[in-house]
Amino acid sequence: MLDTISAGSAQNAAQLGWTGVVRFLHLTPRAFLPMRAAETITLIAGRGIEGDRYMIGNEEGFYSHKPEEGRQVTLFELETLVALKRDAGIELGPEEHRRNVTVEGVPLTHLVGRKFWLGGTLLEATRLSIPCRHIEEITGKAIFDPLINRSGLNCKILQGGIVKVGDTVRNAA
Amino acid sequence: MTARPITTVKTVVAGIEEAGDGIKLFVLVDPDRWELPPFKPGAHIDLHLPNGLVRTYSLCNEPADNARYVIAVKREADGRGGSRALHDGIRLGDVIGVSLPRGGLDPGARIGRYVFVAGGIGVTPFLSMARHLERTEQVDFTLHLIVREEVPLAAHLGSLIEGGRIVLHRTSRTGRPDLAALIGEGGADTLVACCGPEGMTDDFERVTAAWPAANVHIERFVAPPPIIDPDAKPFTLSLARTGTEIQVRAGQTMLAALQEKGIDIATSCCGGICGACKVGWIEGKPVHRDRILSPYERERYLMVCVAGSDAERLVLDL
Repeated sequence: MLDTISAGSAQNAAQLGWTGVVRFLHLTPRAFLPMRAAETITLIAGRGIEGDRYMIGNEEGFYSHKPEEGRQVTLFELETLVALKRDAGIELGPEEHRRNVTVEGVPLTHLVGRKFWLGGTLLEATRLSIPCRHIEEITGKAIFDPLINRSGLNCKILQGGIVKVGDTVRNAA
Repeated sequence: MTARPITTVKTVVAGIEEAGDGIKLFVLVDPDRWELPPFKPGAHIDLHLPNGLVRTYSLCNEPADNARYVIAVKREADGRGGSRALHDGIRLGDVIGVSLPRGGLDPGARIGRYVFVAGGIGVTPFLSMARHLERTEQVDFTLHLIVREEVPLAAHLGSLIEGGRIVLHRTSRTGRPDLAALIGEGGADTLVACCGPEGMTDDFERVTAAWPAANVHIERFVAPPPIIDPDAKPFTLSLARTGTEIQVRAGQTMLAALQEKGIDIATSCCGGICGACKVGWIEGKPVHRDRILSPYERERYLMVCVAGSDAERLVLDL
């Protein structure tokens, strides 16, 4: 019963008329290095982001010894950054959470297993990201606990292309 | 994919400069000249040298110079081998893994006056701090540099000496200065710091014994033992399937002890919530600390990233 209700709710929420927007784009070529802001990034279907550490075939990320197709591009909610400051007094910048795309108005937790458009690219969400102690080591901020259940979304790229800051994010039902 | 987890920042040696008096400057950069992980003025990094040695060096450059790590290394013929390996074995273009930077001045501290005391090559962290403080024009600072005769890194200190920021004390001419007189009276907004040979840092510790700890900073050439939770105790891991016994040091995680012995354990979050490192246990008294195992599961499993042991021996199903 619970399975039916949860699945149904998630489906409904994901299909509601939400439209989000890309606020920030970030990438970095290697583990530990600072994320650099970009106005555009290029997504390659089935592989990753050009120049990013988790591009399949050119991996130099902290988790690259554990291959995962859903790490091709990762998203994070701007609303979580706002909540961290509001509820925990922690200032975390969009360059610090180490996901590639910071979006606003996108119900990331509802999108697992679903397809959606990021600008002109088509993504499929594979799982929710989990926080890791590694990010505390890099940022020097105690964000592991506050990020549990809201540390982003892992996706694979079904259709590649260029994504720009300001692009629309929408459901691909 | 990479075969092993990446545990260090990958750098390439982009410059080696003979700085006189047996000192070489090494400039480390990212292979693509990307910005390196940020650091505080006077921070230090561990270098993982090709011969397996891990050695700690202060950064000489300032945080705003964020695409390079510059270290100054004096060749110590009778040292522990790190400076010899760097001087004699490292060439331009060599790859060196380094740790994330640690330590340095707290940018949030309300300090109005800094007094630095350096002995010889111990000047390196203060070079970073001085450059930062001078550029940001925040506060008053003086660096007392105590040398026998030769001034290390003289070419890099020239403007600071001319500007009166550095006061030179040549012991061959004037003897050893009185440290208490150099640092003067303490104040809540004064921070004093010392880096130098052991005798000097010991003296400095004595003359600042009555100062509040927050106002005194000491950097030693040889790192003191890590601070360990006073309640933490060492224990022995016994691996049932292989018969291997592994010692877990006080304060060390089981995961780190297993990895040190080359035992491959899947990990992800390293904080006890993802479940990747779940291992069965057979005998002992585990202290769990994870946040996902149910009481029933805890009777058989633990998470090696966060679990400890309340008994001297813990038997794992590995």
